Amino acid sequence: MAAPPNASSAGQSDRILTMARAGREAVFSAMRKDPKVFVIGEDVGKLGGIFGTAVGVQEEFGPSRAIDTPISETGFIGIACGAAMAGMRPLVELAYVDFFGVCFNQIYNFAAKTHYMSGGQYRMPLTMMIGVGGGYNNAAQHSQTLYGTFAHMPGIKIVVPSNAYDAKGLMHACIADDNLTLWMVHKATCGLGWLGAPLKTAMAAVPETDYSIPFGEARVWREGTDVTLVGLGLTVHHCLQAADLLATSGISAEVIDLRSLVPLDRETIFASVAKTGRLVVVDEDYSSFGVTGEIIASIAERDPRLWKAPPRRVAYPDVPVPFSRPLEDFCMPDAQKVVAAVKSIMVPH
Amino acid sequence: MIDLVIPEDLWNDDREGVIVTWLYQDGASVESGKVVVELMVEKAQMELSAPASGRLTILAAADAIVHRGEVIGRIG
Repeated sequence: MAAPPNASSAGQSDRILTMARAGREAVFSAMRKDPKVFVIGEDVGKLGGIFGTAVGVQEEFGPSRAIDTPISETGFIGIACGAAMAGMRPLVELAYVDFFGVCFNQIYNFAAKTHYMSGGQYRMPLTMMIGVGGGYNNAAQHSQTLYGTFAHMPGIKIVVPSNAYDAKGLMHACIADDNLTLWMVHKATCGLGWLGAPLKTAMAAVPETDYSIPFGEARVWREGTDVTLVGLGLTVHHCLQAADLLATSGISAEVIDLRSLVPLDRETIFASVAKTGRLVVVDEDYSSFGVTGEIIASIAERDPRLWKAPPRRVAYPDVPVPFSRPLEDFCMPDAQKVVAAVKSIMVPH
Repeated sequence: MIDLVIPEDLWNDDREGVIVTWLYQDGASVESGKVVVELMVEKAQMELSAPASGRLTILAAADAIVHRGEVIGRIG
């Protein structure tokens, strides 16, 4: 069970929540306080969202504030954009990130750019709740993370919580923001029974009171001196597990959880690499042109003298996600791959 | 001591359920009416609330197979 170091600052709690439940608590609270907040999307009303973020919302707030839509992403995201421009604060559920391609124009040309294109006359207080990631044999069109695809576009803030405490605090930050935000949750961390037993390190003590976690503040989960491990969402848990394994070999690993992808807390990563001299970035998105390359470049271009060894990336190979379990396991990042990457740069060069 | 029982009508046949997760640790104080445990029957997720306030004793741990009418915890 994760015990976030800052949990006490927001009020003690004995409750240990799953990420789905913690995110949902923020949704309920925001909807009770502000009649302009509503949810819209596929299976968001009667079912409560395929990943459980809106369970019970329609019972409490009625079908006008929990709107089930057809599988017509361009339509309901367009509706949400218009509602946001008119002063509402929609929460859009699109279930699987893989299907953003269907409505990408609404997102990156419209939702992400309207504030800029209107000279600040229109705001777009729109939050999208998105399930990402693989590891459960759902094949190439239901298993991607696509972090880098969205992070590449100016005008979108992106959070990727790794645990229930952050899931709630970052959801509050997203809803309160006056422009487009993406709350991306890896399915393996959200704690829904049908996806297997909840990941213990993704559950956390969550205060019942509202609290917000600022964008762009990474968290150091574990301090170390030999190597910096950077992860987001599920890969934070791979990094923590790898750090435990490395400790048995006498290697001290520092683990950083990005929490926000955009804005990116480069300062925290830089400070860590300045101390350790080694960097392994762990990401479930595709290896090329993605998060891992961006983070490594950000550090390298700032001070090339930091490195005691070449940086490494542990990411998804540049192939569609295989359906076969052995093939998917072969491709997915995990703690053993992180350990192997670290050991490859710990030997004297 | 008050038993935390899976109601007979929580689902309507003899299928097995499974404890997904407890929201409190064994021995924690819980408040009457607050959700304390999540269960699942096939892919349907359900929850149970505390029937009373007091200290929670967990009798069926996470991942345990459970049935309707089963006592899965005590509060007192």
